[in-house]
Amino acid sequence: MGDLYLEARLDFLRKTQNADGGWGYFWGKQSWLEPTTYAMLALHGTTGSDAPLDRSWNLVRSWQTAEGSSRPSGQVRGGTWVTAHVVTLASVRGVYDDSVRRSVDWMLSVVGAEHTVLMRAASFMHLLKTKLDVSHEGWPWREGNAAWIEPTAHTLVALKKVSGRYRSGELEHRVQEGEALVLSRRCSDGGWNCGNPNVLDFDLPSYPETTGLALLGIQGRSATELNGPLDVARRFRDETKSSLAKAWLTIALRCHGRNPSAPAGDEKVPGDIMLAALQALGHPEGNYGLLRTGDHA
Amino acid sequence: MTRRQFIPLVGIAATASYASVKLQKPPKLSDGPAGNSAVAIIRARSYSEDLVTRMLEGVRQTGLDVRRKRVLLKPNLVEFESSTVINTDATIIAAAVELFHRLGASDVRIGEGPGHRRDTLDLADDARYRSTIPKFESIFTDLNRDDVSPVKGFADEPEFYFPNTVLGADLIVSLAKMKTHHWAGATLSMKNLFGLVPGAIYGWPKNKLHYIGIPRSVVELSRHFRNTYAIVDGVVGMEGNGPIQGTPKATGVLVMGHDLVAVDSTCCRIMGIDPEKVEYLRMAADLGHVHPGRIEQRGETIASVRTNFALIEEFKGLRLA
Repeated sequence: MGDLYLEARLDFLRKTQNADGGWGYFWGKQSWLEPTTYAMLALHGTTGSDAPLDRSWNLVRSWQTAEGSSRPSGQVRGGTWVTAHVVTLASVRGVYDDSVRRSVDWMLSVVGAEHTVLMRAASFMHLLKTKLDVSHEGWPWREGNAAWIEPTAHTLVALKKVSGRYRSGELEHRVQEGEALVLSRRCSDGGWNCGNPNVLDFDLPSYPETTGLALLGIQGRSATELNGPLDVARRFRDETKSSLAKAWLTIALRCHGRNPSAPAGDEKVPGDIMLAALQALGHPEGNYGLLRTGDHA
Repeated sequence: MTRRQFIPLVGIAATASYASVKLQKPPKLSDGPAGNSAVAIIRARSYSEDLVTRMLEGVRQTGLDVRRKRVLLKPNLVEFESSTVINTDATIIAAAVELFHRLGASDVRIGEGPGHRRDTLDLADDARYRSTIPKFESIFTDLNRDDVSPVKGFADEPEFYFPNTVLGADLIVSLAKMKTHHWAGATLSMKNLFGLVPGAIYGWPKNKLHYIGIPRSVVELSRHFRNTYAIVDGVVGMEGNGPIQGTPKATGVLVMGHDLVAVDSTCCRIMGIDPEKVEYLRMAADLGHVHPGRIEQRGETIASVRTNFALIEEFKGLRLA
C-alpha cells in the first residue's frame, strides 16, 4: 500500500514537469525553483530520472545571479532564500564547483537585518516591541530583511550538507549562530511560529509546519534540546489538518530517526506539486534522507 | 535617544519601523481628491441574513458597473482559530460571488495570499470556504504562488512583482474584515491588499513590506491598484489584540464603497477609532477622503452603528472623542 502512495506521487511529478525542466507550483504554470527543488529531491535516484533531472539542474543553474544567489523563477530578477535549495541540490548531486562556492559565499554574506549593533543595543535596553533575541545571525527571505525560521532552516540544511567543502570556519560559525537563533525563538507552547515567539507581550502560538522546518534546521543538537520539540512535532503531526504541515513534520521526524506511521496508499495525490513532492519525500521509502544532516553540530 | 525614537528600529515582524501614535503634532491633513466619496453602511446583523440583497443595496447606494469585467474578490484569510473571527466570513464571500455574477461580471475569481501560513487551501478549508462557496477550488487562486509579472513604480522599487491574476483583473474587490491591528491600529480594506503580494518572492510574512514600512506599503498598494471596490465584513469584527489574537465584536454592518480611504475612515469611526490619527489613512489622504465632510454617508448613520472596539495599550490614543 505504501508503494502505491509513493509511486502515485512520483508519477504525478514525472507527468507535470515543464518543458524547460522545472516545475510550477501547479501543473501548467511557470517553473519556480522551490517546487522544482522538492520534485528533484523526490525523484532523485528513481528509474529513468537521470535525463529529466539533468534538464532540471541546468534550469536551476541558469537562475544563478552574478552575485551567487539564485532567482526564485525565470521571471524574477534578484536572488532570494531559494539559493539554499540550490546548494542542497548541488550536494545531493555531488557538485562542488565554483558556482556552488559563489552560492555559499552569498549565503554567508547574508544576515537577518535585525542583527545590528543598534538593534542589539535596543534589545539590551528593553526597547523592542517584541521579546526577541537579536544577538544571533539567521537568514531572511530576501537580503536586507529580518531573519525568519523557514529561510534559516533551509539555509542550515544547505550549509551543513556542504560543510567541510567551503570556508569551514566561517560556515561552522554561521551554522552555530543559525541554530542558536532557531532555539532562541521557540514558542512557549514548545514549537515554532514563523518568526517571533512573542509580540507586544503577547505569546504567539507555534505553527505545525514551521515547527517541522525548525526541527530540520537543528538536526544534530543534543537530546535535551530536541526531545521536547520532537514530542510537540509528533503531537502536531497527529492533530494537524494541514497537509503541508503534516508533510514537513513527517520529513523532520524521519530525519530525526523517529518513524511516524506510513500514509494510506489510496490517499489522493494533491494537485499542489510542492505538496505532492514533500509527501513523496516523507514516505518511509522516500528520499527524506537527502535532507538529513545528522550530527553535524 | 528616546524610547519612541528607538521603536522604529525594531525590525522584525516588524516593523517596528512603525508607530502610529505620533508625539509631534501631525501635519495638516490633505484635502484629498476632488469631489466627495459615497460610502454605504448596510445593516447585516448576522451571516444568516440575505447578504446578496444587502450587498445589492450597498452597490445601489454607491454605484458600481461591473458588466463584462473580470472581478477578483480578495478576502482576508489569515489564520484559523475556532474561538475567534480572524477571516472574512465564508458567507460574505459566497454572497459576493453571487452578487458580481448577478451584476454581469464576465468572470469572478477569489484570490488570497495569506501572510503567515503557506497551506492556503487547508486554511480555506478550516475557514469553511471550500464547503460554503460553490466551486471554490475552481475559482480560487493562491496569490502567494501564482505566476507573476513585474511592475514599475511601486514604492520606489525598481521592480516589484505581483500575481498575474491580480494584474489581469479589471476590478479588485477588497473583502476585508473589520479588525484592530497590533501594528497598524486597524486593518480594513486597504491593509487587506497586503495579500496581493506573492510570498514565493517576498516570503511569509511579506517582510519586504515591513521594511518599506507598513503604513507606506498600505498606501502604495492602494495607490498602485486604483481599480478597487471595498466591502468590509463588520457583521462580526475583531477587537483588542487583532488581527489574530483579538476577540469577536458584533457590529452588524457591511461597509461598502469605491474610495477605500473613505470606507476605512468610516469603519474606523464605527469602531470608535479616529481615522485622522491612523498613520496610513493620514498618508493616504491624497488618494481618498478621510474628512467626514467629504464622505457622503449612505444607508445607516455612523452614530447608529458605532460600537467602540477595545484597543490595546499601544493604540489607546487613537480613540475617537
